[in-house]
Amino acid sequence: MESKPSPSTLIDQLVVPGDVILDLSIMTSQTIKLGGGLRQDGDTISVMKAGTLRFTKPNKYWVESSNKRYIPNAGDNVLGVVVDTKPENFILDIKGPALAHLPVLSFEGGTRRNIPKFEVGTLLYVRVVSANTGMNPELSCMDANGKAGEYGILKEGYMFESSTGLARQLLSSPPHLVLEALGKKLSFEIAVGINGRFWVNASQSSTVILVGNAIQKSESLSMVQQKIYLDKLLKSIQ
Amino acid sequence: MEQRVANSLVMTVNEKRFIESALLSDIRVDGRRPFDYRTLTIRFGSEDGSSEVQLGQTQVVGFVTGQLVQPYRDRPNEGTFAIYTEFSPMADPSFEPGRPGDSAIELGRIVDRGLRESRAVDTESLCVIAGKLVWAIRIDLHIIDNGGNLVDAANIAALAALSTFTRPECTFGGEDGQELIVNPPDEREPLPLIIHHLPVAVTFGFIGDDNIVVIDPTHYEEAVMGGSMTATLNTNGDVCAIQKAGGAGVLQSSIMQCLRIASVKAGDITSKIKNAVESYNTQKAKRKVKRHNPAPAVSSVAKNHMERLTLGSDESAVGQSNNMDIDGQSNEQDKTNKSKNTAKDLTGGPASWDPYSSAVDGDELRASLASRVATPLEKDKESTQVKPDETKSTQQSTDANSIAEIHETVEVGSQKKQAKTLKDAVKPKHKRKNKSTSKPSAS
Repeated sequence: MESKPSPSTLIDQLVVPGDVILDLSIMTSQTIKLGGGLRQDGDTISVMKAGTLRFTKPNKYWVESSNKRYIPNAGDNVLGVVVDTKPENFILDIKGPALAHLPVLSFEGGTRRNIPKFEVGTLLYVRVVSANTGMNPELSCMDANGKAGEYGILKEGYMFESSTGLARQLLSSPPHLVLEALGKKLSFEIAVGINGRFWVNASQSSTVILVGNAIQKSESLSMVQQKIYLDKLLKSIQ
Repeated sequence: MEQRVANSLVMTVNEKRFIESALLSDIRVDGRRPFDYRTLTIRFGSEDGSSEVQLGQTQVVGFVTGQLVQPYRDRPNEGTFAIYTEFSPMADPSFEPGRPGDSAIELGRIVDRGLRESRAVDTESLCVIAGKLVWAIRIDLHIIDNGGNLVDAANIAALAALSTFTRPECTFGGEDGQELIVNPPDEREPLPLIIHHLPVAVTFGFIGDDNIVVIDPTHYEEAVMGGSMTATLNTNGDVCAIQKAGGAGVLQSSIMQCLRIASVKAGDITSKIKNAVESYNTQKAKRKVKRHNPAPAVSSVAKNHMERLTLGSDESAVGQSNNMDIDGQSNEQDKTNKSKNTAKDLTGGPASWDPYSSAVDGDELRASLASRVATPLEKDKESTQVKPDETKSTQQSTDANSIAEIHETVEVGSQKKQAKTLKDAVKPKHKRKNKSTSKPSAS
């Protein structure tokens, strides 16, 4: 594979393992940050994971792909389900290769006296603090400053599964077409975890089911098809 | 501990409460009503007796195979059948390879009971030599994807596979007429199984404290339901089997209501299975006809393709004609009536050939050919490609090939499409005759 002297040719393109995206011998004293899916091979940066190559200024490169399983990364906001409680941690499932630990004190104003009681099966919106391969990821219900923010328990509603790609689309700005269109007619609240889970709540069960299924279905439709599908759906509600 | 937890389905308390509260307003999580089935798709494999059923996200593949064995001593003139289930680990993280778990065995038992107790498959017709040799039918069900309600999907897969399964015909031959010959499929048409009725399994789930009934539960609903019941019935109104193993207690009136609903659903599913099997059989019959009677009325694209092959294929035409002769002889009985009649009409030679003989209906021929035009070229079979090549090449070759001459004279007075069909049917005989009498300059 020839090395690409100008990396911009491959940005936002589909890349497969083995593609070389940067030739370091040409670039002079620049720091570049590599995200997931990229590896340094001596003088070249090559791709490890199939997906789309992304770049943000000034110097961040990474490969984005959509999977059913999630690989934890520090700083992600995810939806976790409590599967066990220990004296020191809550054990949560975040759809990753290993179960994650949420320390009992990682809540705003958390002390030994007011440890929350979560039963098995509780749904929590948490932040991944650290995730190293081989270790269980660490979670927290506070943001970096120690404030609770929106983290914590999610009551009522229903949790739907999706792929990581759809979750990223739902979190992107401008808002996803489905969310915009549904938000105009219906009122609901939604929490999206980058680990491929999203939670919807509304006053009526039928709204929750409608929103959840519409979002899940929109993943396999193109933009035009989505518009048509949403038009039909919203008409049928009236 | 972590591995075990990761393997089982992780359910939140929100989901359980939501499913129950949504059911109070008669709506389920995937938008269905309590008594709606998911979309059912039945497909068949390339071999007889293999089926693939998709019920929503659940996928099951069924295979039926037969073997000649000794019968059981207490039933010397009945064949046997057995069901084997395999829960593939790719279907669900909780399925482990190796020994079947409880749910796998239960599924096998339900399907088996539905077929055996109700005598849906006629076992006496499977007897070949009483007391010595009978057919043992083996049904293998592979679960490919677990989206809930494996029992119903597996049952439909078994029924579909049994409906399309064919076994070779056994005849007695040899010197003293005592030797058993198992005829291969190309010599004698294999026989289907005799199935008296189709016992269809319908599964109900009871969710919540009020035991609200839902039909065809998804695997999320299965995780929250308090009990389940499977009723196997047929369209004649017979209840073949009922399975309710443990779980919440249910009122008698609820059970009766379930059975009534199940009979309606069984009717739907039976008609779906029958339609799918019928279209599979007509496809099979069409394929068989095409194989021995290729439709040369091909589209213009194909014509160009054929023209390009003209140059090289004349030499090969001779060699292939030999094959066709043999094929023509052995497949006489398989040809449809029209080709048989035309073959007889043509014995006198080209001059006496009458394309408008009473045995041939031109319009019908053209219509049937038109419907088969698109498909012949999609087949990969060497033989079908070879024959059209050959016919086209000889038609379009302008050299002094005697065969070509015959075709040209024939073409003059008849419909082009019709001529090609009958020519093909006849060609082997013509070639044979020409070869034995004179040496045509076929090259």
